[in-house]
Amino acid sequence: MSPPTVAERHPEVVTRGVHRPPAAWIETATSADHKAVARLWMGTSLTFLAVTAVLFALTRVQLIVPDSTIIVPEVFNRILTATNVTAIVLFAVPFTCGLIGYIVPLQIGARSVALPRLNQLGYWLYAAGGLMIYASFLYTVPETALSPLPPLSDDVFSPSNGVDAWVGGVALAALGFVCFAINLVATLRNMRAPGLAWRRAPILTWAAGAIGYVLLVVGPAMLAALTMLTVDRHFDGVFFDPGEDGEPLLFSHLSWIFFTGCHTILVLGAVAVISEIVPTFARKPLFSHRAAAGSVVAIAVLGVLAWMQNMYASPIPEGFAYLAMAAAVGLLVPIGLLYFTWTATMWQGSVSTRAPLGLALAAAIALVFGLGGQLMTSVVPVGLQLENTTAAQQGTIMVVVGFTLAAFAALHYWLPKVSGRSVAEGPAKAASGLVLGGAIVFAFAMFFAGLEGQPVDVFRYYENEGVSTLNLIASVGAFALTLGILVELGNLAASYNGGRPVGHDPWGGSTLEWFALSPPPPHNFDAVPDVRSAEPLRDIREAIREREAAYVPPAPLEPSAPPPPEPVEPTAPTLEPEQVAEERVDEPIGESSRPGTTATEPEAPAEADGSGDADGAAGADGDDSSIS
Amino acid sequence: MLGRALAVATLALAVFAVPASAAIAPDSAQSPNAEEIRTAYWVMLAVALVIGVALLAGLLTATRRFRARGEAREPRRLTAGRGVVGRVGAALGALAVAIFVFGVVMTGDAREAEADESAESLDIDVIGQQWLWRFEYPDSQSETIATVFSYTELVVPVDTTINLSFDSTDVLHRWFIPALGGQVEAVPGEVVETSFRADEEGVYEGQSTQFSGTAYPAMRASVRVVSQDEYEEYVAGLAEDLAAAQEDVALQAAEEAAAEEGAE
Repeated sequence: MSPPTVAERHPEVVTRGVHRPPAAWIETATSADHKAVARLWMGTSLTFLAVTAVLFALTRVQLIVPDSTIIVPEVFNRILTATNVTAIVLFAVPFTCGLIGYIVPLQIGARSVALPRLNQLGYWLYAAGGLMIYASFLYTVPETALSPLPPLSDDVFSPSNGVDAWVGGVALAALGFVCFAINLVATLRNMRAPGLAWRRAPILTWAAGAIGYVLLVVGPAMLAALTMLTVDRHFDGVFFDPGEDGEPLLFSHLSWIFFTGCHTILVLGAVAVISEIVPTFARKPLFSHRAAAGSVVAIAVLGVLAWMQNMYASPIPEGFAYLAMAAAVGLLVPIGLLYFTWTATMWQGSVSTRAPLGLALAAAIALVFGLGGQLMTSVVPVGLQLENTTAAQQGTIMVVVGFTLAAFAALHYWLPKVSGRSVAEGPAKAASGLVLGGAIVFAFAMFFAGLEGQPVDVFRYYENEGVSTLNLIASVGAFALTLGILVELGNLAASYNGGRPVGHDPWGGSTLEWFALSPPPPHNFDAVPDVRSAEPLRDIREAIREREAAYVPPAPLEPSAPPPPEPVEPTAPTLEPEQVAEERVDEPIGESSRPGTTATEPEAPAEADGSGDADGAAGADGDDSSIS
Repeated sequence: MLGRALAVATLALAVFAVPASAAIAPDSAQSPNAEEIRTAYWVMLAVALVIGVALLAGLLTATRRFRARGEAREPRRLTAGRGVVGRVGAALGALAVAIFVFGVVMTGDAREAEADESAESLDIDVIGQQWLWRFEYPDSQSETIATVFSYTELVVPVDTTINLSFDSTDVLHRWFIPALGGQVEAVPGEVVETSFRADEEGVYEGQSTQFSGTAYPAMRASVRVVSQDEYEEYVAGLAEDLAAAQEDVALQAAEEAAAEEGAE
């Protein structure tokens, strides 16, 4: 009995409903795609930026007038603690993680990351850490200033749970950073596109590598310190107990290693973003790619080695102080070289001062103030006088402000890649003026107040100290700074879904992330091109242009042959943007026959070649020139 | 925007010229080690200003001069020739080495007042605790008082090398009198030393710069520099006061004991 050859008259369609894709936010929260995870990193950290900006303004409200009692001391100390930890651990470092996590895999032509689930775990650990710190507002808030230094933070002097919330939250975040860094290093070592040797890697990728290793060094150091502190607090440990031959300064060293590492990461992130933006907007390659890459590595090494530059007044051997001073002063070389490289890159260029470049330059200005101040305090005698006063603190704050401006520049530059939409430039200009102007006013006022001896972290100062006017001016500057940050955050939020749609390569960038679509598909690239230089996208554009220039409409083979049925404008097909997009996918860098770069859509070139042979009209292709 | 930012910076400087004219350097130094710090400060301020202005001037000049106007022209693809970056790096390196050497040289006399054979010296123990400083004077002439001490205000004779030896009974504190030298951290269980030699009578105030808990801004200290005679008078007075207080306490204790006995 043969099976029926004719289908049933009424075929029965059995279905229990079509699988519905989950809601977008569930998709984002559960996806291990590096872009989804990085969007979470960036979104969360920018939320914390808004929080820390408001908290910072609150601390300055208290300090407008001397002997102020607007905020009671305990509450002020809590706000102060939250401001510090949020700015560094919950905003700056995580934002760097998010930016790197999104852009760097695209920049190295990777279709994914090496350890996607570890990457995702890193984010959720950090989010849990942030939640833990802020949930403490429900019970006991930590009062630790920047770092809970024992003996103040041990169970005798801080019996409340506040310190535990700080320790747990920062430990979770640091563990998240370590997870992120493991994945980052593994990705950078294994998943670069063919031909993307380190000497051709973009500066942000170099910085990402440096940041990965810095996090792998300083994260575990902090985790060790926090573990010991927890043992001291709850299990009668004596790591830091001076009464039992413990060493309180050990915690200072370890926590300064972590915070100096975070500071180094801020500097690295900022200079890397500036180094990416300057060449694009000067329409020139970096003046010296080697110098910039080398400087990034040097900053990473010297910056972390200089952790004792904040401990000159502590009882450490003089040789250690000199080591810290050598590293901190040595930072002058890579940072100076980077500024020289940026200047030389714009020299003879065609500089278009769009918002990303404007913000990047504002960041560079803020960094000069911050790093210049730190150069001063890194010299031991000056440090003895200025460290732990507001004069030294303003240097750190200016670096954080420089980083924030660089973060805004990065968002203006790369958000079109993330959302496919441009960010409005008008508010950005106003915001960057407010942020930079406010920060400079604040920094000068606080510098002079520090010279008078105003210490950091105080909830009041006294009328007879001669710093009242300076603090008033500093508060005004701080309010402008906060307002600017909030304006720009609002602008970014409004533009994320409401901006003008732009193409895949709005700036004419020269690195591989602009080769992907905007927003990139889950697998990033259909085909990954071979990389031949530090500017792979320029090579691709060049190849396309050469092919257009070399195109000659083929003459009829014989006079008697019938003319082509439709004369078609020869340059038109390749010049259409969508055609260009296909073209570069199909034939990277003008070598269509290379193995390993096989087109994923073989139909298009086949058709083109076929029609080119038949009537020589539609398939404008470089190969045709060889026929004639 | 950059022009505006620069205008803001200039304006800020102008605004500060008024209140800061007296405050562009730390309080005037009253001790040789503080003098060293002032010298280092002025040199580093000048160096940092020159470097900062040079870096920014280059960057902003390039931005202005090569701004694309009208139709974008094709830029020259200028990249580093051999040696340019090396020369800049070497110059920066030489500058960094010079700063480092300068720092090391200046550190020598910045931590402690240099020894002066002609000057007398005085050893004082300073003990930090939440939130005040306790000063213990040497050479108690009184038989009843083991240690003469005072809180918050340290009184020392002028033109005498004062060797301070720090300890803390609870958490980290920092000793900082801007006019008399740099900061010193008092660490529990560790003895840290510094010295100063005030060359002018007067009252010098300062404040701890290490966060030490809720009432941390109250952790202030002042050093009153007086003549040698006044100092001896002061210490003698302190000893008397303390002896009187001790007697009071003893009397009170005796009274209490008597009252207790009476009650029984």
